[in-house]
Amino acid sequence: MGHGHHIEIKQETFLMPSKAKRFTMIMMILGVVLSGIGIATMDRTGTSHNTDNSHSPAKEVTTTESTHEHSVATAAESHDTVNTAGNAEGTHAEAAHAEGTHTEAAHDEGTHAEAAHAEGTHAEAAHAEGTHAEAAHAEGTHAEAAHAEGTHIEGAHDDAHAEHANVDNEDFGPRIEYHAIQKPWTTEIWSNLLVAGYFFTMISLCALFWYTIQYAANAGWSVTIKRVPEAMFTFIPVAFVVVLIALAFGKDDIYHWAHYEHLGLKPGDVGYDAILAGKSAFLNTKMLFIFPTVLIVLWYFFGTRLRALSLKEDNGAKGDVTYFKKSIRFSAAFLVTFGFLISVLAWLFMMSVDAHWYSTIFGVYNFATHWVSSIAFIAVFVIYLKSQGHLALVNKEHQHDLGKFMFAFTVFWAYIWLFQYLLIWYAHIPEEMMYYQIRYENYKSFFLGNFILNFAIPFLFLLMRKAKRSKWVFPVIGSIMIVGHYFDVWFMIMPGIFGPGASIGLFDIGVFLFFAGLFIYWTLNQLQKRGLVAMNHPFIEESVYHDTGI
Amino acid sequence: MGLVDKKLSLRNRNKMLVGVWEDEDALLSATQAVVDKGIHIHDIFTPYPVHGLERIMGVKRSRLARVAFLCGLTGLSLMFLMVWYMYVKDWPVNVGNKPVRFSPSWIPVMFEGTILCTAYGMGIIFFLRNRMLHGIKNDLLDDRQTDDRMIMTIETCEGMDEQGLINLMKEKGAVETREFHNGIQTVI
Repeated sequence: MGHGHHIEIKQETFLMPSKAKRFTMIMMILGVVLSGIGIATMDRTGTSHNTDNSHSPAKEVTTTESTHEHSVATAAESHDTVNTAGNAEGTHAEAAHAEGTHTEAAHDEGTHAEAAHAEGTHAEAAHAEGTHAEAAHAEGTHAEAAHAEGTHIEGAHDDAHAEHANVDNEDFGPRIEYHAIQKPWTTEIWSNLLVAGYFFTMISLCALFWYTIQYAANAGWSVTIKRVPEAMFTFIPVAFVVVLIALAFGKDDIYHWAHYEHLGLKPGDVGYDAILAGKSAFLNTKMLFIFPTVLIVLWYFFGTRLRALSLKEDNGAKGDVTYFKKSIRFSAAFLVTFGFLISVLAWLFMMSVDAHWYSTIFGVYNFATHWVSSIAFIAVFVIYLKSQGHLALVNKEHQHDLGKFMFAFTVFWAYIWLFQYLLIWYAHIPEEMMYYQIRYENYKSFFLGNFILNFAIPFLFLLMRKAKRSKWVFPVIGSIMIVGHYFDVWFMIMPGIFGPGASIGLFDIGVFLFFAGLFIYWTLNQLQKRGLVAMNHPFIEESVYHDTGI
Repeated sequence: MGLVDKKLSLRNRNKMLVGVWEDEDALLSATQAVVDKGIHIHDIFTPYPVHGLERIMGVKRSRLARVAFLCGLTGLSLMFLMVWYMYVKDWPVNVGNKPVRFSPSWIPVMFEGTILCTAYGMGIIFFLRNRMLHGIKNDLLDDRQTDDRMIMTIETCEGMDEQGLINLMKEKGAVETREFHNGIQTVI
């Protein structure tokens, strides 16, 4: 700050204080204990995550789309009032599901038909109550087909439908049914591990992204805090292994397309899903494991190369820019591949939970979430190191710029979040709406809370210049943002997996605490391994005298 | 005090001492020296930002941010009124059965209106206050102040050691020194 006086650039080494070790250990132990209690108290009857309905395993929560009514009416061929048909369908759903027979049908094609039959019978029962027989009957097949997959769009079952109801193979429009409770109880464990693994993989990747853009843009101001994201990025392998473990054990329960893959249905079979079949070239088990692994290995390679180059630079001579120039090239290579392919992770891990649904902005939305939380982590680490008397060269100016970064990408996240919603809300196309319907109908407080936590609070606080330069705003707002965005990722997939019955339990909190503690410990540990100042970086002087003006 | 402040014009002020620099480091040390003598610097014109200058001069933080906020608020309310009048009051249209009241489709309009008014409002008021808007006579003391010269102006007052200041400027690397009075510049 201020021109004219000379600032001496000295190397610093960081030694993790025992307090930090204790703090992260407590976080991890608390996480393990909480998730242990969570697992111990989980309902193992297969109705996990839905504590309200836990005593009646077969109780179904069915969400009926508005267009659903339309399809039923067409099938029945004789309904003049769409609404009545819809009501009939509602009744049917209740009756059929209360029966609970189709719990068995889940993994077996053979029992499939029988269950379908049983459904038909129940449809008749619904009819006896004075509702529409044909509608209910036609629906019976569908409810069954739906059941096999958990979440189901009726439009995909045209073939089967035509056979049974003798109607033309036309597009009836999608219908959504959530069979929330047909998952084994372990699903909750794997899906939470997936959320944690994915979140921290992306946070670490975004840390790499953070300092590669500094290289690519020839940015000078950030050199004094460069070590922090450099340490954060090393967490990638740990977090990604967690993702792979979660997928290896839980993919069939997390992704209904993975389960569908086992059925091996051909066109014309009952339960054949044209949409899933059409996506199977991309959405298949091999792709799920191989594509992301290749990407992560590639990016991790770029990251380690950059880290090695920066070590060489540290040990080299002052004024030697060869390593810096090489770093720019590696950064550019990373940025190109990252920019084009980062969405793949979001598609495979997150979006495919609702495999019938798609959103073209989803990859950007995921990136926005992780990018802003990664910046929040960097900011919190910088403030922490500063409070421990390190990073003497970092001053309010650097902090202010970090605050601007946080603020800008908070707005960016909100922009993407809103516009994904807005376009879907506007077009009102049922197969797009299903994602928001279940979230808005059943989780209104979560849905709006997400927006308040991740946009309203950080926006209002970080808007002020004084806040960006304050000592306490970053830790508080940064933590809110990190928790908020973790919750955002959680909320991306949990309603898709568990239907309307997902809730935040001890296990979910425990997993977050454990991995957050591990991540903080890991980063601080990595920070010990290098000097905190990039002494020979060509822009270190520029960074030291960085001034954002008054 | 209006938006176009006549007092801000150099023409309506006392005699000005003008120093011209070529090098920003020399300018910075000269500024420091003048400030150290307790002299108030009227303004320094530079073709590009010189970091640290405003801190040495003791310039107060710009109020442009507040202008931006007010402009944004104006834009937001204007657009809200516009959409409300068109869509609710004057001619409600059923578009895809969307509610005829405040709904997400209003947000892009209001957002864009906010940005538009903020950007234009800030720009116009910035140029207005700096006497750079079309129609306002500007105070270019030297055409090169928009190119490669940096110009310091000090307003004289009773009992000021003008010759001493001129000498100080020259000593601190001023390539030219002049005085400016009633719109006429003379090299001294």
